[in-house]
Amino acid sequence: MRTNVHVKKRVAIVGAGLTLFARRLLETPAELAWEAASRALGSAGLALKDIDCVVIGSAVDGFDGVHMKGEHIADGAGGLLRPTVRVAMGGGTGVMVPIAAWWHVASGLCKTVLAVGEEKMSHAYPHPQAVFAYIWHPILERPLGPNLIWIFALEMAWYMRECKASKEDIALVSVKNKRNALDNPHAQAAANITVEDVLKSETLVWPVQLLDISPVSDGAAALVLADESVARRITDTPVWIEGVGFALDSSFWYNRDLSYPRYVEQAARMAYKMAGIERPWKEIDIAEPHDPFDYKELHNLEGLMLARKCEAPRLLKEGHFERSGELPTSPSGGLLGMGNPIAASGLMKTAELFWQLRYEAGARQVKKAVHKAVASSWGGLMQTSTVIVLSR
Amino acid sequence: MNRRGGRGELLHVEGSMEADKYVYPPGVLGSEAAKALAEGKLTGIRCGEKLIVPPRPYCPDHSKGELVEVRGPWIVESFTIVYEDMYGNMLETPQVIAVLRHEDAEGSIVHFLKAEKPRVGMRTRPVFKSPEERNGTLGDILYFEPAEQASKK
Amino acid sequence: MEIPGKYVREEELRKMKGVIEYVPKAKYSYSAGQALSVFLRGLKEGKILGKRCSSCGRILLPPREFCESCFSPAGEWLELPQTGRVETASVSYISAKRGKLERPEIVAIIRLDAPGYRGDEPEFPGIFHRLCGVSEEDVMSGRVFGARVRARWRPAEQRAGSITDIECFERW
Repeated sequence: MRTNVHVKKRVAIVGAGLTLFARRLLETPAELAWEAASRALGSAGLALKDIDCVVIGSAVDGFDGVHMKGEHIADGAGGLLRPTVRVAMGGGTGVMVPIAAWWHVASGLCKTVLAVGEEKMSHAYPHPQAVFAYIWHPILERPLGPNLIWIFALEMAWYMRECKASKEDIALVSVKNKRNALDNPHAQAAANITVEDVLKSETLVWPVQLLDISPVSDGAAALVLADESVARRITDTPVWIEGVGFALDSSFWYNRDLSYPRYVEQAARMAYKMAGIERPWKEIDIAEPHDPFDYKELHNLEGLMLARKCEAPRLLKEGHFERSGELPTSPSGGLLGMGNPIAASGLMKTAELFWQLRYEAGARQVKKAVHKAVASSWGGLMQTSTVIVLSR
Repeated sequence: MNRRGGRGELLHVEGSMEADKYVYPPGVLGSEAAKALAEGKLTGIRCGEKLIVPPRPYCPDHSKGELVEVRGPWIVESFTIVYEDMYGNMLETPQVIAVLRHEDAEGSIVHFLKAEKPRVGMRTRPVFKSPEERNGTLGDILYFEPAEQASKK
Repeated sequence: MEIPGKYVREEELRKMKGVIEYVPKAKYSYSAGQALSVFLRGLKEGKILGKRCSSCGRILLPPREFCESCFSPAGEWLELPQTGRVETASVSYISAKRGKLERPEIVAIIRLDAPGYRGDEPEFPGIFHRLCGVSEEDVMSGRVFGARVRARWRPAEQRAGSITDIECFERW
């Protein structure tokens, strides 16, 4: 079965745009949204008057420091007097934005959608970590004084033990992604580093060290989606959205085995089924898995069934995930190399695949021919997965 | 089946959702507008025929606007009288908050109004802090007061 | 191609006109709800109380009013053993706001020895808590994984009906 939902209109991505990702940008949240949206519209050869509907994504109000953040940035995102909606799925928001934009078009409700993700994490002092403190359960968890990184450290340690993966094995993700980012002019944390550098960086919460984590950032990203009739008219190289999937696991994260993300698999199976993909490890040519932490890329790749359980570290070592490899992953530089303005960085991953599938990624273009691609965002208390499958 | 959690009252746990502080930069266009404000000038943006206040980085059609000075008078479009602060404490002196419109512009600004008898349609002008006290935020204006033309009527 | 976005350094921001600073004051009183109120009172008495799902029989710890899997109301209360096994652990050198901690904090996910569980189920009654009597080296070498631990309680008069009434889990 090719599809498990009734899709009225085939949906294409026809434009993409990004701002710079940086620790602190002068632009207001609305200005960031406007810059990315204008860039995306320009690349599609469209103007705002051509847009029917707007989908906004931002993860957390507390970063920008305004409630109703969607409403605050709506003008900048092109939402003025249009059907406009915001999606918020924590770290999973990035890919949820094109997913929500997709159903606006697939349902026949809108012919064109502007999809904008924005996060401004520099407003909160002394550090955005102060805001992350409020993701924890106020009664069961917060009294222990946890830092966001604790939960990742607990999961990473579990994954390392279960899969017999070493810190060295995992650090290779950071090395690869930061190196890939050297070719990305939008990147915040591009660098030529070694495994040694990662292992020597400050230990924050063992096993997590400074260079295992993507930096916090300001930034925005935008896509333009259109139905087939519009897409065929305005471009020769539409990129089709073939499948979407999303799933949530329980917020009782210490009641389940964290070494394998079953909710990622669930979301991936939904997207692959819709896309008619039966053997993703063979059929997918290129991937942008969520990589806020280096181990998380491997964890997500296994959940996405692009590697067997515990197999990703070995494939990484063998060069499988390099730009020149069998299955290039995070060719954009990922969050580790690009920086992590949460909703924007997830959307950026979809934008990167759009450019890769159109052979427009320039110095970042992967060696192999690419036909099918998958991007994922991940978030919550080890809970959320959002997956999108694209083809050219 | 006992669906009640138990005897006695439910427990509550105190907490907060706070950061040490938030610091909001004014943005690209906002930093130009802030400089003007520190010089005692209110601004708007010109989008073709339209003048829009307060200034924003983009016009309704998403194109870029041009920052221009907007001189008064500012006309009271609506006002309200506030008796409590944001935590519910009574204010010593009630505060008049007004929506102020400009004859030639779309949009309006919101600020304090100091007038014996506030009324809709009243023409007002801003009263600024001394130049050395200004920092480019709306607080550089202490309040709006009736313009002389208005008092003649 | 010019990329939109102007990076500003902290020092530049300090000098810039038009910057707004705001200190949020947002106090909350979080209701513990039916199930957690009983759980917290149990902690005060030195007991770890869980619930059993009336439909699928799984033990819910922390207790909740409903089982999220089969979506039926949780049934009877039961007191759980205060012993268990470390599933994963980490060593934190930073505080909640990312300041440096004077002494590193070791925390873990503990699978409790619940009746009717073999100990290898992917879903299990668990607690997120501190470990004590465990060194940084014990965690980094992996020695602590799988270790048997038990709850160490604060003295009864110091307990407040909080998750921190358990001081930590210690090896035994």
